[in-house]
Amino acid sequence: MQDDARPRKDPAGKPPDPDHTQTNPLIRKLDSLASLSDADRAVLETISADTRSVPAHTDLIREGDAPNGVYLILEGMACRYKRRSRGARQIMAYLIPGDFCDLDVAMLKEMDHAIGTLSACEVVQIPLDTIQELLRSHPTITHALRLATLVDEATLREWLVNVGRRSADERIAHLLCELLLRLQAVGCASSDAYAFPLTQVDLADTTGLSSVHVNRSLASLRERGLIEISDQHLRILDLQRLQALAEFKPNYLHLVRGAAA
Amino acid sequence: MTLRLQPVKVATGSDDQESQLVFKDGFLVAVLVCLSDSHGSDVGKWFLEAGFGPVDDPDPPLFSDLDEAQAWITTQLALTVS
Repeated sequence: MQDDARPRKDPAGKPPDPDHTQTNPLIRKLDSLASLSDADRAVLETISADTRSVPAHTDLIREGDAPNGVYLILEGMACRYKRRSRGARQIMAYLIPGDFCDLDVAMLKEMDHAIGTLSACEVVQIPLDTIQELLRSHPTITHALRLATLVDEATLREWLVNVGRRSADERIAHLLCELLLRLQAVGCASSDAYAFPLTQVDLADTTGLSSVHVNRSLASLRERGLIEISDQHLRILDLQRLQALAEFKPNYLHLVRGAAA
Repeated sequence: MTLRLQPVKVATGSDDQESQLVFKDGFLVAVLVCLSDSHGSDVGKWFLEAGFGPVDDPDPPLFSDLDEAQAWITTQLALTVS
């Protein structure tokens, strides 16, 4: 019954583009931030070709490890996190298709946090010298990647407001609104639905809540007719009311080209 | 160290209502809430809804029964005495 809740690759309902660069989430993302040339798209296609499958709940790199390249997520969902000595985890960012993990990580001797998959992912590990060559030779890509980093920082600020100044229901609502827009921007969500591999524990570790409170908040949002979760898919039933509840303003995502410039 | 329990209902905004206030020497130190069947396999477990002073915990635990909860609270209270 949830078939129509599954995200379509093209939310506008257009037929699939035979040119794969239009479905590559990295290219879609950077194209939304800067006017890429055909040569830019071609080089991005080349560096994202060598994917490998990584199972869910697998670390790509751990805290304390020396950076061993830049990871690019092409499918699935990963996260940045830190763990306390007793095991408690705080997730500081979700990495969705098209996201790079730590473009400038080569400047650091060791990771101060870990990056791990939340769902099964398709990942590319790009050598640092390839990245440096890309940044040297493709100024428009460099510009787009800098804007993407600014958006990542803006998102982190919004998450800080979330854990510090929003109620449990508002935190969850805000996160769900944000994910819809981010996933739509890379062609991984329909107008109101997307794949939702996150567990209640993942959401708890993201929002600074207990999984008990996350369970109650999800139930509350469902009972108010705002969302529906089934078979690892989430559908937002009333986006306007969900955004109003969370006081969600999408300005920090800078989804209109040039808005972050 | 003796704890005293007092049954109450807590307005959690959910089906989780059956609760216990936990007192030590007349002071309220914790509120425990029994989880309803909306929590799947955790139904019937006791959740540290609120802890005060040394019983506060940013990662609030679940307990299989009230004895386990009281043992944990007693330990937390003893930690601050030493």
